Amino acid sequence: MSPQRPASTEELLIVLMSRDIRDWETCACGALSMIPAASMLLAEATSAPYIETIILGSDQLSGNLGKDIHFLAQRGKLDLFYHSAIQFDAAGDFNLHVVGDPDAPDRRLPGGYGSGLISYTAKRIFFFRTEHTKRTFVEKVDFVSGAGVTPPEFKRAAEPFRVYTPMAILTFDRETARYSVESVHGGFTIDDVRENTTFELDAPDPCPTTPPLTDEELTTLRGEVRERMVKTGTYAEWAAEELQPG
Amino acid sequence: MGVPYIPVRGLAGTDVMERRDDMIMSYNPFDENDLNVVAKAQNPDVAILHAMKADEQGNALLRQFGEDVVVAQASGKVIITAEEIVDSVQPGDAGGNYISSINVTAVVHAPNGAHPTAVKGYYEMDREHIEEYVQASTDDESFQQYLDRYVIGKTEDEYQAMVAEQSMAAAPAGD
Repeated sequence: MSPQRPASTEELLIVLMSRDIRDWETCACGALSMIPAASMLLAEATSAPYIETIILGSDQLSGNLGKDIHFLAQRGKLDLFYHSAIQFDAAGDFNLHVVGDPDAPDRRLPGGYGSGLISYTAKRIFFFRTEHTKRTFVEKVDFVSGAGVTPPEFKRAAEPFRVYTPMAILTFDRETARYSVESVHGGFTIDDVRENTTFELDAPDPCPTTPPLTDEELTTLRGEVRERMVKTGTYAEWAAEELQPG
Repeated sequence: MGVPYIPVRGLAGTDVMERRDDMIMSYNPFDENDLNVVAKAQNPDVAILHAMKADEQGNALLRQFGEDVVVAQASGKVIITAEEIVDSVQPGDAGGNYISSINVTAVVHAPNGAHPTAVKGYYEMDREHIEEYVQASTDDESFQQYLDRYVIGKTEDEYQAMVAEQSMAAAPAGD
């Protein structure tokens, strides 16, 4: 039996995030969110069959929600939402708006208000980023789309943000305002992670290794999940192209 | 809604909030331990909204997902540009959000009016034109050229004729 082709960066992130979804959670993802969508469907097919998945923009799996997703979150009924960001900083802030000076940006990104709302109201947030570099993990973001720490009387979910990268899984503790490394993926060391992060990271010593991807996880992703995405009009073209069985 | 401000669950500590003066932090009047962001009401003088259908009274079918109905209700005057003028638009009509004529000041028949963007159920976006627009937007001079070519001193009919000619030229032979 020949081994299947190694996981791509996207597939790695998909599988890692799928493991951390809790069964029975109500989970959602927004625009341009193929990686989150696939991770929810993979969790549903494996360890978390009773989750409620809301994939905005999907033909069949959107729950027919548009802006109501915000109201759902505000009422405390959205357990998990996903974000990516162009920059994360030491204070736990993230940036989805601009690179460079906000009044004369080098790049203007899709960031609007959504991230500044749902990241405060969903009970848990998974951030993901397809690179782990110093330009991603900066000292101070160029623009705060969502804040890490807010006044104590401003109600928001207590669970730490989780950040999934190709090198590691990080968490941000809002009480201490510090990022820590939860685990480092196989093939990388804690030094690699620190060298590619501008700010300080706490880490257990020794730092745990992220359990490697299993054959079954990849097969399910490239089989059942990919088919379901195509059939339900959920990032169908992307799934057909990027999640091919191998 | 006609209220002066509304609490927002989010945006605290963001640059979105910092860079404007119509969002501030305020305590919940019913709970001194609850801090919220409050946003001042936005009331445009005029809203121009593109609808799929409208009737001559001003009842219209606006796009399904989006805030168009809220924008219309918040605005002093509302001008609806519509792909089609029909005999009657009803609240039960499928495929969009109904807005009552009571909110609407004027209706304009504007087929292909959303060009180069899409109207669901009518036409797709014109990718080539959007790329042209994006390229033109990279500096002031090229953007002025874009405006001079397509917008300034041009009527709607002239614009539509120009873009129709372009998309016919772009269509592959045999289609």
